[in-house]
Amino acid sequence: MSVGFIGAGQLAHALVRGFTAAGVIATHRITASSPDTDLPTVQGLRKLGVNFTTSNKETVSQSDILFLAVKPHIIPFVLDEIGPDIEDRHLIVSCAAGVTIGSIEKKLQQYRPNPKVMRCMTNTPVVVREGATVYATGTHAEVEDGRLLEQLMGSVGYCTEVEEDLIDAVTGLSGSGPAYAFTAVDALADGGVKMGLPRRLAIHLGAQAMLGAAKMLLDSDQHPGQLKDNVCSPGGATIHALHVMESGGFRSLLINAVEASCVRTKELQFLADQEKISPAAIKKTTLDQVMQQPGVTAGAVGVRSQGISMFSSNPRTKKK
Amino acid sequence: VCQRRHIIRMSVGFIGAGQLAHALVKGFTAAGVIATHRITASSPDSELPTVSGLRKMGVNLTISNKETVNKSDVLFLAVKPHIIPFVLDEIGPDIEDRHLIVSCAAGVTISSIEKKLLQYRPFPKVMRCMTNTPVVVREGATVYATGTYAQVEDSQLLEQLMSSVGFCTEVEEDLIDAVTGLSGSGPAYAFTALDALADGGVKMGLPRRLAVRLGAQALLGAAKMLLDSEQHPGQLKDNVCSPGGATIHALHVMESGGFRSLLINAVEASCIRTRELQYLADQERISPAAIKKTTLDQVLQQPGVTVSGGANGNSRSGLSLFNNRGGPSIKKKN
Repeated sequence: MSVGFIGAGQLAHALVRGFTAAGVIATHRITASSPDTDLPTVQGLRKLGVNFTTSNKETVSQSDILFLAVKPHIIPFVLDEIGPDIEDRHLIVSCAAGVTIGSIEKKLQQYRPNPKVMRCMTNTPVVVREGATVYATGTHAEVEDGRLLEQLMGSVGYCTEVEEDLIDAVTGLSGSGPAYAFTAVDALADGGVKMGLPRRLAIHLGAQAMLGAAKMLLDSDQHPGQLKDNVCSPGGATIHALHVMESGGFRSLLINAVEASCVRTKELQFLADQEKISPAAIKKTTLDQVMQQPGVTAGAVGVRSQGISMFSSNPRTKKK
Repeated sequence: VCQRRHIIRMSVGFIGAGQLAHALVKGFTAAGVIATHRITASSPDSELPTVSGLRKMGVNLTISNKETVNKSDVLFLAVKPHIIPFVLDEIGPDIEDRHLIVSCAAGVTISSIEKKLLQYRPFPKVMRCMTNTPVVVREGATVYATGTYAQVEDSQLLEQLMSSVGFCTEVEEDLIDAVTGLSGSGPAYAFTALDALADGGVKMGLPRRLAVRLGAQALLGAAKMLLDSEQHPGQLKDNVCSPGGATIHALHVMESGGFRSLLINAVEASCIRTRELQYLADQERISPAAIKKTTLDQVLQQPGVTVSGGANGNSRSGLSLFNNRGGPSIKKKN
């Protein structure tokens, strides 16, 4: 099968790198598109042997599975552009935080009766084949579509199906999780440097300790608290360290973080559901570039005087 | 089928059969770097849960530290720091030229060990290492320093062993306490973080098992990205924070609470406590209150161990260790 990415940014790049390393699909079967050819990731994708284009419509026609790897507020814009070109074979997989299957199906149903849509939340460690992915299946997607997606995403890390209403929480936890970890290792390395270690060694030891602990937990049936107990010898160094962490409310900060990310995800979803995207959210040059693509008219991308209207219930699309 | 590539033809012994010995043996076995019949472990306490784990792996278990010494070429001291001097006095007379002593005890200096062993032989080969429990899944973090009389081949041997279970590098000894604070204690910081992240996931609606799984996977993946990348952790963090997105909102609340500072504090506290324990040990007195009478009795019952007058604390103020007045406080029976 052929895989396409609408969007050629961090996520597309990470997924392609992971899929390639896993050998689960040949790069000549992958297409990626973006109106912005200056993105650093575009070069990376080209080097990997991906077919790169500035035309989203071209990606659609070359692909069977279509990953929507653009920012959430761009999704409606993209759906309007490619809607007319979706065919029966296409499986649309949205990776956009907060964008519901319902909103995507509603949009695509203007163009065809049974659009096959799935929604997934993954994370950047797919690039080293240690991602965390969950997905939910839309109304018209089949069991085989779920299996196909799971095969792809399972090649680059952990992957499991969930109910769609859990996905925002997953975004807060494992979607944003790597950022919490990078921050933690930066701080741990600062601690090591303060106590006399050279920086490179401190980063390596901090990252290795985190990796090892996470692997222990994944390989164990034991509770994380039990594993923590096992490494705290009486009166020892580790329990002294844990006390200062607890005194500062360490655990609470992480609960706050998961919550904040999840709440913001739901907020973004709510804003998107307003079905209006201000022209201020799209760069004029980007809009121009899109409209220069063969087959795209201004009516098709819904540009109107008060704002770009998304999720319109009036089919406006006409092919040139 | 597990490929047995037994690089190490030597025998390895563990004084102490607790968490650390168990984790190292599990790691070495999984790595296939040494056959379990070449491993001996000893502890006076046969009730430890790790003891049955070691037995199941095929390790030779004994209650006699002297037996471990006799059967081994490389000797890991895997007991708590305050027990080290006690053990050195017990096994000192049995150390031979071939023995390489590797102390894993936090805060115990090479020179304190050499000083003790020099009472028994001229050139004791001593090394010091700081490792951590993820050796059990072969993702440990180990540093080591080489003592006065240990040779380059000895470090190569240790590095071969410890690299089979994770990252291993030589360092100057004066960095080891800082390493203890960072990667020695590090897994505990991670387990605590994972527990809290899972709580966050559960608060937002995830089932517990899924929350634990996703949290651990996210940390593992991020750590692997960092290890495989030339980029600064701050750059990697930037790459995952899309403008106005969920992640940067989360990071703000973490920073507001001084998240980074808590981790710096933790590394510092662990390192300082390590140095404190070393200082206490260097006082060269161990109070009888620090050893259980039953443990002491069990040790004294081992063949070859006697205690010279009053070493059990009756007539002196404590068990004297690192005795520089010459003459061991424990003498071999004739």
